[in-house]
Amino acid sequence: MSTATANRAIKARAKASPDRIQTDVVNAQAIVDQQLVDNALHHVAEHDELTLETLPDGDISVPLTFYLEHKAALHERESQVAVQVAADEDVADIADHLNDIQMIVLPFVAQIDGRSYSLAYLLRTRYGFKGQLRAIGYVRLDQLGFLSRVGFDAFELHEGDDYQAALKAFLEFSEVYQPSADEGRLIFARRRVTH
Amino acid sequence: MYQYDAVDKTIVNERVAQFRDQVERHLRGELSAADLQHLRLRNGLYMQIHAHMLRVSIPYGMINSDQMRTLAHIARKYDKGYGHFTTRQNIQYNWPNLKDVPDILHDLAEVEMHAMQTSGNCIRNISSDQYAGVAPDEIIDPRPYCEIIRQWSTLHPEFYWLPRKFKIAVTGATNDRAAVQFHDIGLEVVRKDGDQNAEVGFRVYVGGGMGRTPVIGKVIKEFLARDDILSYCEAILRVYNLHGRRDNKYKARIKILVNAFGIDKFRDEVEAEWAHIKDSQLKLHEVDFDAMAKFFPLPSYEDLAQGDERVEKWRQLDSRFKAWVDNNTVAHKQSGYRIVNISLKEHSVAPGDITDTQMEAVADIAEQYSFAEIRSTHEQNLVLADVREQDLLEVWKALDAVNLATANIGSVNDMICCPGLDFCSLANASSISVAKQINERFDNDDELYDIGEVKLKMSGCMNACGHHHVGHIGILGVDKKGEEWYQLTVGGDATNSAELGTRLGPAIAKDNVSDAIGDILDVYRDQRSDDERLLDTFRRIGIEPFKERVYAEQA
Ligand code: SF4
Repeated sequence: MSTATANRAIKARAKASPDRIQTDVVNAQAIVDQQLVDNALHHVAEHDELTLETLPDGDISVPLTFYLEHKAALHERESQVAVQVAADEDVADIADHLNDIQMIVLPFVAQIDGRSYSLAYLLRTRYGFKGQLRAIGYVRLDQLGFLSRVGFDAFELHEGDDYQAALKAFLEFSEVYQPSADEGRLIFARRRVTH
Repeated sequence: MYQYDAVDKTIVNERVAQFRDQVERHLRGELSAADLQHLRLRNGLYMQIHAHMLRVSIPYGMINSDQMRTLAHIARKYDKGYGHFTTRQNIQYNWPNLKDVPDILHDLAEVEMHAMQTSGNCIRNISSDQYAGVAPDEIIDPRPYCEIIRQWSTLHPEFYWLPRKFKIAVTGATNDRAAVQFHDIGLEVVRKDGDQNAEVGFRVYVGGGMGRTPVIGKVIKEFLARDDILSYCEAILRVYNLHGRRDNKYKARIKILVNAFGIDKFRDEVEAEWAHIKDSQLKLHEVDFDAMAKFFPLPSYEDLAQGDERVEKWRQLDSRFKAWVDNNTVAHKQSGYRIVNISLKEHSVAPGDITDTQMEAVADIAEQYSFAEIRSTHEQNLVLADVREQDLLEVWKALDAVNLATANIGSVNDMICCPGLDFCSLANASSISVAKQINERFDNDDELYDIGEVKLKMSGCMNACGHHHVGHIGILGVDKKGEEWYQLTVGGDATNSAELGTRLGPAIAKDNVSDAIGDILDVYRDQRSDDERLLDTFRRIGIEPFKERVYAEQA
């Protein structure tokens, strides 16, 4: 895949929940563990005609419902299969499958959606998910700091955003007041030691 | 008062640097106005009709003299020489330039202040009792708890993009002056079973609020041990963040979710979530409270007798001084001291407004007479909490010299009023000009004092920033075919006996508002018995007599 296909909308999809990605998404780059990497992951949008046969080749992410329906067949593919969890979905639905999944993709459709912050937090802390948590869609430099605190470790930026510039977002804050899904500790617990 | 340590300073400074970068990217064309919007809101920066507006946080209303001087400096250097105290104990500047805002935030950071989370859909400034620590009816000083919650909620990564804004208030007194039942989370610091020696905790209310759909908060937990305050708030916030409506901003507050679930189901959800995190590192320890309480020590009071002869003599001699002492000062828990209220409701000035020189005068007076501390109140006034009775005359003279001794606290002229049509792009009608009209109608002090306590609250639209639902008299600006009209309510109450006002009848034309208020107060004066306040008389006789008089006159 050429690097010119950043954020290429690949095919239209049938009307569904506005919280799901509306068209397929492919970005040429991603930030993973605060490093810029080439990317070829193809995020497949949910629509009525989506079948195992129509899936593109290579690494893909598929909607949660599709994954649950076709899990066995999907795992027979040679390439990577990640699972999308939309803001209106319940992470409990994926809980039993976490050992089989290496990556969960949380799409921010059109705007910042606070629900996915809680979903990521729950996946990391409540369900102990150790794989990659990737944010796609409306993902901007100014959200990266907080997104990584709630458990995201991979990002595909909003169309047109500068990846190189975005890398410095991780350095904006060197202190935090509260625990989340990161190493951050409650400020009062830290002060206990020094008092 | 709380003092920043290295961590607090780092966070505030890094926040300023972050915002400076965002503004520079915007000015270079790398960040669109739409993308900047969410970021600037969470730094207190709004776009209003004429210009930007910057809202600076005053956590639970506490500021010191140096901070007040910085607020004056900002008003002078970056604004038009004044600021406006809000109903959430914050201060707003109506005319800053976007490019100056990073410098303003920098100047604020120098005196341990910031504008974080004073707007946007996140956890807002924690508000509290303006008499915290000094009120005779206080059971527990709420400020250490406010500060603990402030720190936990500041830049909380998970709750920075809530469905809607989220307000928390804390009170520790028998008489609730913080309107906790009208907050998304209201906390009443209590001792278990009301027993003086028992464990400290909170009665937790959830889902109260004003706005378009005013709702009185419901008790979600009768007693929450104080160790668990952060985990419990976090559980409430997580349930709200996941389930609150995001499709309609008028239905996005937590009160709508609580009503949709019903309080019992909502409680079950919260308790289920809380069970997971109750014993996490969010649990607070005894030493945490002790360490925080040390920031709010009792001032070094002198041993003084109640009352002061010289002041009492002057009170008899000078009717203006007497009116000020009687109206603007209240009892202090320490013998020989009074709490002094500074009215920001001077005639012909927009309620809550204060000039740079007045701010500096207040800073000086506080330094000389009140341990260099000042509080802002949700009624848009200021408080000097610890004034010796023997100093009252000097304090009064010093305040009077800068027009800050208007003796109208608690009166119909001490109204709460939102910025309205003069500044706010959402407004239906102006509120400042109506405030002026009312001030002019009630310019006779004897009449004012005879009427006594009236909480008059006015909002320029349904969003209710002026808390009209809970005014003893509430005024709401409405738009009638492009004209400004006003809807009146009577009998609202923001205290422990919380109540929403009852609608009087059809809206009233702008020119008739003060006459209608006059009619309401005439009915009260005709019908009151003993020392009833307007609110008490209303509760006894109902809305009808008021309605009859007002609409008979208007007809
Ligand atoms: S009540 Fe309405 S007019 Fe007044 S400040 Fe709020 S939004 Fe603006």
